[in-house]
Amino acid sequence: TEAIGLYNLGQSCCLNSLLQVFLMNIHFTRILRRITVPPSPAQRRSNVPYQMLLLLEKMQSGKCKAVGPTELACCLSEHRVELFVQHDAAQLFLTLWNLLKKQMKKPELVKELRDLYTICIQEHVACQKCSFEVKSKSTMLTLPLPVLDANSHRLKTLEDCLQYFFHPEELTGQNMCFCQQCGRKTPFLQSTKLVHLPQTLTLHLKRFCFERSSCTHKLSHSLPFPQELDLRQVLTESQCQADDSEKATWQYELFAVVAHSGSASCGHYCAYIRRLTDCKWYCFNDSEVCQVSWDDVKCTYGRSNLYWRETAYLLFYMKKQPQ
Amino acid sequence: MAQWQEVQGLANTYLEQVHQLYAGSALPMAVRQSLAAWIESQNWRQAAEPLCSHARMLFHSLLVLLGERLGSLGSDREDFMLKHNLRKAHRDLQAEFEEKPERFANLVANLLQEERRILRLGQAEGQAGSAPAPSPAPESGREQQIQRRLAEFHTALQEAERAFRHLEDLQDAFDFCFKVHYQPGEERNRDPGYLQELQSLQAKLQNLDRQRREVLAQMQQLLGRSETLQELLQQELGGWRVRQQHLCLGASADTNLRPLETWFTELGQGLFQLRQLLRALGDLRQKVTYARDPLVAETPLLEQRLQEQLTHLLKSAFVVEQQPSTPNAGKRPLVLRTAGKFSSRARLLVRLHDRNHRMEARIHIDRDPPNIKGFRRFNILTSSSKTLLAGDSPQEGLVCDFQYLTLKEQKDSRAGKGKGASGEGPLVVTEELHVITFTLAYAYCGLELELEATTLPFVIISNNNQFSSAWASILWFNMLSSDPKAQQFFSSPPPAPWPRLAEVLSWQFQSVAERGLSRDNLLMLAKKLLGSKPSPDSTVAWHKFSKDGASGFSFWAWLDGILGLLQEHLKQLWKNGLILGFVSRKQEEKLLKSKRTGTFLLRFSESVLGGVTFTWVEHHETGSPTFHAVEPYTASELVSLALPDIIRDYHMSLEEKNPENPLKFLYPNIPRDEAFGPYYSQRLEGNLSESQKYLNRRLIRVSSRPPNRRQTEEELLVATENLETLQLQPRGQGTPGDLGTPQGVATSPGMPRVTPGILGTLQGVTMSPGTLQVTPENLGTLQGVTVSPGTLRVTPENLGTLQGVTVSPGTLQVTPENLGTLQGVTVSPGTLRVTPGNLGTPQTLQMVATSPEMPQVTPGNLGTFQGMATSPGTPRVTLGNLGTPQVMATGLGTLQPQPQSLEPPQVTSGIPNLQGTLQVAPGAVGSVQVLPGGLQVASGDLGTLQGTAEPPRVPEEQGTLPAELRDLELLPGGQDMQELLLQGGQDMQELLEGLEPPSGTLGTLGTLGVAELMPDVVATLEDSLEESFQLSPGSAALLAQHDPFLPQPEDSALPSVPSLFTDLPPLHIDASDFQ
Repeated sequence: TEAIGLYNLGQSCCLNSLLQVFLMNIHFTRILRRITVPPSPAQRRSNVPYQMLLLLEKMQSGKCKAVGPTELACCLSEHRVELFVQHDAAQLFLTLWNLLKKQMKKPELVKELRDLYTICIQEHVACQKCSFEVKSKSTMLTLPLPVLDANSHRLKTLEDCLQYFFHPEELTGQNMCFCQQCGRKTPFLQSTKLVHLPQTLTLHLKRFCFERSSCTHKLSHSLPFPQELDLRQVLTESQCQADDSEKATWQYELFAVVAHSGSASCGHYCAYIRRLTDCKWYCFNDSEVCQVSWDDVKCTYGRSNLYWRETAYLLFYMKKQPQ
Repeated sequence: MAQWQEVQGLANTYLEQVHQLYAGSALPMAVRQSLAAWIESQNWRQAAEPLCSHARMLFHSLLVLLGERLGSLGSDREDFMLKHNLRKAHRDLQAEFEEKPERFANLVANLLQEERRILRLGQAEGQAGSAPAPSPAPESGREQQIQRRLAEFHTALQEAERAFRHLEDLQDAFDFCFKVHYQPGEERNRDPGYLQELQSLQAKLQNLDRQRREVLAQMQQLLGRSETLQELLQQELGGWRVRQQHLCLGASADTNLRPLETWFTELGQGLFQLRQLLRALGDLRQKVTYARDPLVAETPLLEQRLQEQLTHLLKSAFVVEQQPSTPNAGKRPLVLRTAGKFSSRARLLVRLHDRNHRMEARIHIDRDPPNIKGFRRFNILTSSSKTLLAGDSPQEGLVCDFQYLTLKEQKDSRAGKGKGASGEGPLVVTEELHVITFTLAYAYCGLELELEATTLPFVIISNNNQFSSAWASILWFNMLSSDPKAQQFFSSPPPAPWPRLAEVLSWQFQSVAERGLSRDNLLMLAKKLLGSKPSPDSTVAWHKFSKDGASGFSFWAWLDGILGLLQEHLKQLWKNGLILGFVSRKQEEKLLKSKRTGTFLLRFSESVLGGVTFTWVEHHETGSPTFHAVEPYTASELVSLALPDIIRDYHMSLEEKNPENPLKFLYPNIPRDEAFGPYYSQRLEGNLSESQKYLNRRLIRVSSRPPNRRQTEEELLVATENLETLQLQPRGQGTPGDLGTPQGVATSPGMPRVTPGILGTLQGVTMSPGTLQVTPENLGTLQGVTVSPGTLRVTPENLGTLQGVTVSPGTLQVTPENLGTLQGVTVSPGTLRVTPGNLGTPQTLQMVATSPEMPQVTPGNLGTFQGMATSPGTPRVTLGNLGTPQVMATGLGTLQPQPQSLEPPQVTSGIPNLQGTLQVAPGAVGSVQVLPGGLQVASGDLGTLQGTAEPPRVPEEQGTLPAELRDLELLPGGQDMQELLLQGGQDMQELLEGLEPPSGTLGTLGTLGVAELMPDVVATLEDSLEESFQLSPGSAALLAQHDPFLPQPEDSALPSVPSLFTDLPPLHIDASDFQ
């Protein structure tokens, strides 16, 4: 069967793209199908996982080319996700995921959802003057990757961005921290180490640049990303905090790209998704769906002199199945 | 093609899928078949939307059409079944879908969609499967992909247009209902009928809104696909640009723009169509708009996106189709001459224009000149603008063709001469890059753009002799850069990776003579350039390539000389692989060593600009084989005699045998005539007596046996008539008249050929390979004796007696007008040139050159002259009147040697002090009794002749000449001559033999002499050099290496030897010296 589109309800291209990314992910739908249906109609109306499941059923049952996610959108608006507003995809992804997690009542499902999406990292902050060190584990849903380095130079590839993200940073001068041992502000070394990676790895390319002038502009320069990503090759030993069996699973294949076209103030989202059943790429532009090729996906690498073009914004990588 | 037709053309496996699709379907295939075209042209997807009357309308239209079709069918047997099926279908459809036509619309929409899917699969399979073995090249794969995408783009565009028309209908319907039913007012709001109307109006608006969003989504999708398409086209265009650059470099490349033009035009058309659609959407918005109207929010974004795409497409579509080139440049574009005509052409690949709009194209040269001091500025003299008339030549596309352009340099009076001579600018003229920019004011469908295209950089020269180095610059740039804006490229030219350079060099040969360079050729070139075997990372610096050259010419100049030679004379031989070309000495020996005697190969000279030579192998009963190479032939020789003929007629005289051609088999073992037969200009039975008939018009190439291995032969060349190669012109060109006593006496392997006009006695004796050229008109007695490789050229007009004795490699050139007696004796490698005006009757000229250099003597009236140049260097002596014959001692005092022609101290290649070893043992000279009774050049005293190495001053020893010299006597002419001469010849031989033991190897000396005089043969030198360093101590003493006047080996600052790789200063003689 063909992939099914989602009608735009008014600035809902961002939501549509993310919904497609969720619903085309069979690991996610496996969880979604096991939720408990809320007892009352009012509860059902405001339950995001339930509305999402309904939408999925609607998409898969009908022989229509596209369906309207009206009920889900209404449900979301009850949770302060406004309709008719252009959202930021990374932000909306976080909101959606948190709502899903919150409203899935079964703890085992919540755990599975966590396992499916969350990244574990360990943050180190170490005083450069003494041995004082603070370690803290935390989880992230996306890795927000800068596309420029500290000197505003363009990073060349996705791998460079990842490298740069896990690069230790020295906190000196104004950024110095108070050291408990030294009893004064000292230079610190801040570093992030990768502990665990989930089944679906979400990378966020920070293509929007906030300048002091309060106006946001988009960075459209070319940033190639690979179809196959091996984090073991990208990161150095010191950037990881994981054993070999964990690292062995850090091999990924690109699953989906949420691309943005237009400027920071006015734009459009679409999603390129590799369907897991037939391994073919599809492009979802709201109600329009068409089969595309890797060439089309590559087109979202970006180009420095073309500002209005589709550029990749969120990347979803899927763990390779062990052979 | 219609979809249903395409479906029917599918392969069986896919047809089966189609059958299955319709087997369980409520729409029978018969109906699909009968109304194929109509079904395909309806928008079923839209009709399937709920709340849409469209579906009902379509359903009823279908039933009506089906009824019509039934009526039109005849009563044939085939039609009978069809009639039955259609009637049944009509009934069934009506029963099933009458109440729910939307379901029917959805059914048809899905069927069509499924058909398209099967079609895609089948066609993809068909493309892959139809040509499995000779799989389409990746390029054609890309072409197919582009074409497929273009087709898909246009289909999607049509769908979008259909959707748009549907939207128009919906809007019109809504608009009408709205105007009719919407009457706001307090009282009406309570009317339930009105509220119902409002509800229906609201539903219509919802529907309209959804349709608007759908059209917008389609547009977004279209723009996304066209972005990919454009990316692919840009890649293709990039590939074309690279190919064009390669073509400029001489490679063969397909630079046809037609496919790109078609694709760009199609995409451009599509985008302009989309633009129209967007505008129409804007119009719809003008008529009906509402809160959260998607057109308001999204159209500006789409417009921006589309505008950017169109601009990008058009800007990249303006390309320079023909780079600037002069009409007769052959395959070397981008080198222009001031005041010469040239042309260039730009093309807009998007062939879309308004017929009513005139577009103007302009050209500018160096619009943004680089900031280089002394950069020359030019004006285009001819008209620099042209109007692109729309509709002129639709077939040929949008072309700005500028022909017959000329450039003129701007004269800047303040700056004076802006160019090279003053050394102001850091760049020489041939490294100054200029570009022409085309601009086009494009306008189409309200879109106005200024388009620009820039040519590749070119070089502007004012003189043809700059052409070669200008071309080197073009090669270097296009090999390493593709940015036309990089006009400062040669401020710091990057080095070229060897593999890239190798490829480009090969293209030069490919383009000149249709055969590139082989791996071995390139290996030899790499070693020459890099000094070692190339690695993939080896790079060559620009200077190394085009400027530096130990031999006085750069690597490129050398290679271009060969290219010139190939182009003019050796195209066919090179093309057919008869010339091995670039072979190192070592490699050459390795190749030939194992081959039969007489196996030869052709290769290019490394020391002569544009020279080709052949080397053959000779095996001996014992010992190692010897290799012989002839002095390289250059264009000046090949112009009068083609190389195949030279090879055919080449002869080498053997002792007491008839001369024979040593060239028997072309490497590896092709018989000579088989290899070169097709290129001989005429058949000739090569026989000496016969060939004499042709003496007037033919040259015969003969060499004499070299005295030792690796000896380079010189030609012995004699002709009566003026040869082009002859540098000295006799006053009158005598035809061969009566021959007195022509005698060719070969006492050594040499082979003098003499054809005098009126000749008393002529005797030519060559003792060793050399060239004896005698062109006398009236000759009393001529004796040419060369005892070692050298060139003896005598061109007397009226000659009493001439005796030329060269005992060592050197050139003796004598051009007397009226000569009593001339005796030229060179006893060491050197060139002796004597050009006396009038020599009184009983007068004697004697030249004794004992040093490896070139004395040049031009006496006016000479009594007796004795020039003894014993020093290295080139003393030029110009004597006025010399009085008595007894001037010897004092005469020297009046010599004014001008050592100006010493070469600058660029002794390279580790041969520091050659002439130190080049002292021929004067003892030998002493015993030369060549001309008894006549000349006694001898001096027993070695010391006297030697040890005068300092050119600027004449050492005092010179004053004390041996007494014998004063007793010079005229050579009695007449019958004794022959005898005497013979005797002399024998003496000579004895002398040579005698020389060998004490001085180590005379051969070596001889060889060294050759090296000195003929720096052409570089490789020989290297060999002989080694030998020369092995001289025995005894000979070292003899060679007076410790002479304080001789430059010491360590002291390279001393101007010791002209560089071995440098040509000797060109020999020229002022015509006034003769007259």
